Amino acid sequence: MEQLEQLFSTVLTRHVFLIFGVLSVIGAGAMIFSRNAVHSVIGFLLAMLSIAGAYLCLRAEFLAMAQILVYAGGIVVLFLFVVMLVEMTKYKERKIFQTQTPVALVVVLISAVTFLGVFLKTIFGKSAEVALTLNPELTGDGLNAATHNVQAVSRGLFADYLLPFEILSVILLVALVGAVVLAKSERG
Amino acid sequence: MPFAESLWGNLVQDLPLLVPVLFLWIVGTLMLWPLGSWLLKSMPKRQWSGITFVVLLVTLVLVFRTPAGQGFSGMFQVDGLTTGFQILAIVAAAITVILSQPQLNALKEQSVEYYALILFSTSGMMLLVGATDLVSLYMALELMALCIYILVGYLREQDRGIEAGIKYFLLGAFSSGLLVYGMSLIFAAAGGKTTNLAALNQALALAPRNAELMIFTGVILVLAGFGFKVAAVPFHMWSPDVYDGAPTPITAFLSTAPKAAALGAFVRLFGTAFNGVHGDWAAPLSFMAAASMILGNIAALRQQSMKRLLAYSSIAHVGYMLLAVLSHDAQAGAQAIWLYMLTYLLMQGGVFAVIIYLQGKGEGERIEDFRGLSKRRPMLAFAMLVFMLSLGGIPPMLGFFAKFYLFKLAIEQGFVTLTVLAFLTSAISAYYYLNVVATMYFKEAPEGEAQPMGSGLSIVVFATCLLVLVGTCLGPWLMDWTARIVLV
Repeated sequence: MEQLEQLFSTVLTRHVFLIFGVLSVIGAGAMIFSRNAVHSVIGFLLAMLSIAGAYLCLRAEFLAMAQILVYAGGIVVLFLFVVMLVEMTKYKERKIFQTQTPVALVVVLISAVTFLGVFLKTIFGKSAEVALTLNPELTGDGLNAATHNVQAVSRGLFADYLLPFEILSVILLVALVGAVVLAKSERG
Repeated sequence: MPFAESLWGNLVQDLPLLVPVLFLWIVGTLMLWPLGSWLLKSMPKRQWSGITFVVLLVTLVLVFRTPAGQGFSGMFQVDGLTTGFQILAIVAAAITVILSQPQLNALKEQSVEYYALILFSTSGMMLLVGATDLVSLYMALELMALCIYILVGYLREQDRGIEAGIKYFLLGAFSSGLLVYGMSLIFAAAGGKTTNLAALNQALALAPRNAELMIFTGVILVLAGFGFKVAAVPFHMWSPDVYDGAPTPITAFLSTAPKAAALGAFVRLFGTAFNGVHGDWAAPLSFMAAASMILGNIAALRQQSMKRLLAYSSIAHVGYMLLAVLSHDAQAGAQAIWLYMLTYLLMQGGVFAVIIYLQGKGEGERIEDFRGLSKRRPMLAFAMLVFMLSLGGIPPMLGFFAKFYLFKLAIEQGFVTLTVLAFLTSAISAYYYLNVVATMYFKEAPEGEAQPMGSGLSIVVFATCLLVLVGTCLGPWLMDWTARIVLV
């Protein structure tokens, strides 16, 4: 049983993680490229669920659950509502953003090749005497004191990353105010 | 609960550092809701700019009273750089608020939210310049930028305004993406242990050799992200359209406050965290500085619209200031940028006050509209002359001393070619600044009589002009004095 667990935690997890990663990229691609708005939302759902899966592989159970609740549950439903309420059919045939496709393709290709090169060089580089660790391991006071997952998240938020967390709350307030300011029909 | 107690203890200890920011947050929120709805009943809406101005003055006092120190698990630090650039952001916001009053009155677009957003944006800048961690730096940057996206698109009945808002938002979001991706690469390359700037510098020095390319890519991406924020060539494409389409007071805000804050954070980030990998970013940044100086000044030569001219000249000014970011000595660089930005925001504030005055008369913002201003309003034309000469860096004006200080630093640091280029392009810039002066003094005035200027605008023009003139007289001492203010 222990051996099985070990196998699960090392080899299998890494492969499952990769599978989830590929799935999320496929989902994101489907979201961008599909012509039908509902298909786009389904693609988005796939991407979000796979990211939740990836979080699970990284042993961040709480984050995975939050991801499913917030994105897969809340945001996707919201998107579907918008898609339902807005008549998308009349924008279907217009080619508004497609005048620059060739240029965009070239740029994307160049950057994809560049980044591939960077990662290949980093992982299999000649001078790789010391292997580069790609396992993030934050060391804050709060995180060190945490004994399990949810505790680590809460201590990360309220101890080590308190200031960014609070700034984030102000950003949300500003976003709300901004939405009202820009959507209000009349300033009396 | 020892953990909770230590949390509380830390909070009590760290909160004094954030007092000015918290004050802005509280006042901004109150304005939006209880205080706002209570005051709205009892007074006309145009008083909001006055209230906001007073709030900003109080914040300025609070900034001066904030003790130096570090807190929030190394996320935020108050030192000379923080205080200095916080002052710049607040002064720029205060000028914007006074300028906004007549403009929004004329457009019948006064609203509480406008002023609250300026306050929130200022708080973002104040956090940004003190951020000593990649996470808090990014969050503060987003807070600052998000408010400005909304303010730029504020006049949503005008097509130009909508275009500017959307353009700025999309490019801003894109550049934030680049910035965060670059940060994540650096975080990974440094071992995935820390996001603190000082610790990151040590970690990057110890990074394995095969991580070098990843660090380089990360640094370049962060550089591109900041390039977008300060509108340096080749990431400047948004700037003229956004300057043109935004409400004019917001253009004044955009060309001073976020640039000051972003440059402050730029110096801190590159001077602290990426100090050890100076070789990675020196060449790209030199290119950005040189390209900004050349393209900004040459493109400004052909502009007919005053706002576009100022947009391109602002790109050029950022090019000069990037020379100071290049410096190996972060402290001297911060001081040079601080002095330059201070003089720049005074001059910009004055120029935009004059533009808003002309706009209020329905003349628009073309350079042609300035013709004969010396006959119509001699004092205004004189103030404009002072601003233009100073912006052009013509001795013995204040702008000259700021430039001199900057170029002296660049030469001391060994960037001789770039400094020569800066001198040459600066000479080009004199042409288009003097062109405005010539239009004011030597061209016939159009028909029409001189109108009185609003009190707020006159105050801004008078105060900034006076400060520029006083600064001109005190020029040589000013440089010593700056050296004592912005101590990193």
